[in-house]
Amino acid sequence: MKKALTIAWKDLRSTYRNPAALAMMLVAPLVLASLLGLAFGGEAGFSITTTKVVLAAEAGNSEAAHFESVLTGLNDGNDRLVDLSRAESEEEARNLVDAGESDVAITVPADLSEVLIDPSGTRSASVLLYENPTKTIGPAIVRGVVQQVVDGLNGARAVAYGAGVLAFDAGVREEQQIAAIASRAAELYARGREQGSGQGLTVGEPRLPDAQQTKNPGVAGQVLIGMMVFFMMIAALNVARTVLDEDYAGTLPRLFTTPTPQRIILGGKFLSVFLVVMVQSLLLLLAGSLLFGTDWGSALPVTLLIVSGALAAAGLGVFLISLAKTPGQAGAIGTGVLLVLALVGGNFVGGAPEGFFSTVRRFTPNGWLLEGWLIAMRGGSPGDVALQVLAALAFAVVLFTAGVLVFRRRYA
Amino acid sequence: MSLIEATDLRKQFDPPKGVVAVDDLTFHIREGEIYSLLGPNGAGKSTTISMLACLLKPTAGEAWVGGRSVSREAHEVKKLIGVVPQDIALYMDMSARENLVFWGSMYGLSGAELNKRVDEVLELIGLKDRQKERLQKFSGGMKRRVNIGVALLHRPRALYLDEPTVGIDPQSRRSILDGIVAFKDEGMTILYTTHYMEEAQELSDRIGIMDHGGMIAEGTHDELVQIVGEEAKVALAVDHSLERMLDTWKQVPGVTRATLENGGMILLVNDANAVLPKLFEAAGGIGVRITEVSVAEPNLEMVFLHLTGRALRD
Repeated sequence: MKKALTIAWKDLRSTYRNPAALAMMLVAPLVLASLLGLAFGGEAGFSITTTKVVLAAEAGNSEAAHFESVLTGLNDGNDRLVDLSRAESEEEARNLVDAGESDVAITVPADLSEVLIDPSGTRSASVLLYENPTKTIGPAIVRGVVQQVVDGLNGARAVAYGAGVLAFDAGVREEQQIAAIASRAAELYARGREQGSGQGLTVGEPRLPDAQQTKNPGVAGQVLIGMMVFFMMIAALNVARTVLDEDYAGTLPRLFTTPTPQRIILGGKFLSVFLVVMVQSLLLLLAGSLLFGTDWGSALPVTLLIVSGALAAAGLGVFLISLAKTPGQAGAIGTGVLLVLALVGGNFVGGAPEGFFSTVRRFTPNGWLLEGWLIAMRGGSPGDVALQVLAALAFAVVLFTAGVLVFRRRYA
Repeated sequence: MSLIEATDLRKQFDPPKGVVAVDDLTFHIREGEIYSLLGPNGAGKSTTISMLACLLKPTAGEAWVGGRSVSREAHEVKKLIGVVPQDIALYMDMSARENLVFWGSMYGLSGAELNKRVDEVLELIGLKDRQKERLQKFSGGMKRRVNIGVALLHRPRALYLDEPTVGIDPQSRRSILDGIVAFKDEGMTILYTTHYMEEAQELSDRIGIMDHGGMIAEGTHDELVQIVGEEAKVALAVDHSLERMLDTWKQVPGVTRATLENGGMILLVNDANAVLPKLFEAAGGIGVRITEVSVAEPNLEMVFLHLTGRALRD
């Protein structure tokens, strides 16, 4: 064991003495994470610029006031999503959008209230949206909100009409009485909507356990973790490749002439892969905390993820190297496979992918590790990341065993 | 008493159709002697060393070092030997001392014993004052010295040197050869492979001449030279086609071997004084002028030429 540690220490020292290796292992992930983090708006999450909305309605339009109330309600404290202004007419509002002074114009027709309470249900009116086509996210949100309000109004209108018809069928003939019933029904519908009763849609976050997940992992943190896992695997590949480098340079055959068992020599080489990746992970996590203020989560799940990640990366590195016969081959095969795994596993996209990708990524160690890290960063407990840690360890065992078997045959 | 013995040693790569690198090789090396395996490139010298160093498993036959089988007791054999590979096998990003400490650890040394031995070896190879410099800053000769020093750390009973002077300057070469004699004086047994006749001649107590994987002659320098008897080597250059003269001179009485080498011609002749005039006469008879001639006493190169019909450096 002492000899294995000596070999591992030698490799660890050589790796961290090599400026090119250091750049690849530490600088590249930090730089990439910084650039991607900046591109997406920094630590607090996607920072969407304030959308300028102009509301065109005549003074006293009660439905326009409703729209105004909902839209301004989108603003949360200092985070202003919508900057709302008023215009006297549709034309004035459109001109403001054309001039680039507003992003979206909403025109609420003057007769909207009348149409809504029309007992015949035959009249119609449209809320008009006029958008700056070069803006995407903000107007889309506004469109969604307006649609939601219109849906609510249509619902209330349908409920009022239905209640009026039912009252008439039940023998109520007094017009004012029917109107009061319809109005009461619409009112109850609106209150129910506000309280969420009977709501048929529940929005959940898939695969994220119920533990105290109150933290926002932030874009920079998520991007950095993707980069870290990817570059852990690159580093593992590079260090594992020293087996082939040493074979080529003659130091591995020379090691085999010393009274050191082959299993110790290869064990020491593989141990060095694990240690290098461990050190790299710790340094990157530290850098992430200091540079981006990222909160990686509680100590225990983070430790479990670092160790299982380093083992999975080491196993993958050893396996990939076992497929190659020369250092050149190892570089080509290894880099190609790691890129595919990173693309499938989701290293280059923050957060948790949905649908097909959420399933496919689980065929990669990257996918499991990223899932685990996201849970940890959201405040997950060791139990919450257990499945992800076990999956990463399973990858490590399978890949490492396969790689060792190939090496044992090669150097028998 | 023999320290190293090989009996019917054979190595075939990728059997049954692969190349036979060593074929039925039998020899022994006495404790404390310098034994050289001499032969051209591809003769099987390095493969033989690899088998004796437990790096390659023999396809057939057996070898022993200190009575231990290289096939079955490799771990014990490795404790007895130090191997100096043909190419420098060291870590260039580490200093001379770091290299020696690392390799010493691999030979099982540790603590104060390791440090003491590293100091001694650094002294021995003359690099104590540069021990902290990384090897990438060293000259080729200095790297060669560290390469040898690594194999001496655990005080092996047998030292294998596989062509250790290939591609180095004369001064470093001289230093290495002097060192090998010093190791012998300390009681070490040396197995030395080379294709330089002069080195084998200078260093060796006994020499085994290898060709095509087999041992074609073995003995002391004097014993080997006696194989060619009274023959002398005559080297000639002419102003015409050498191939044409080769056929002509092969017919001259007293010429036992004729071969082309390095743009000239080498003849083995029984009596140089008697044969030389006939060579001139034969050349003149077909209008060829001899531009250079030299006569050498019997040596190992002539032995190889005599036994194989080829020059050692072919």
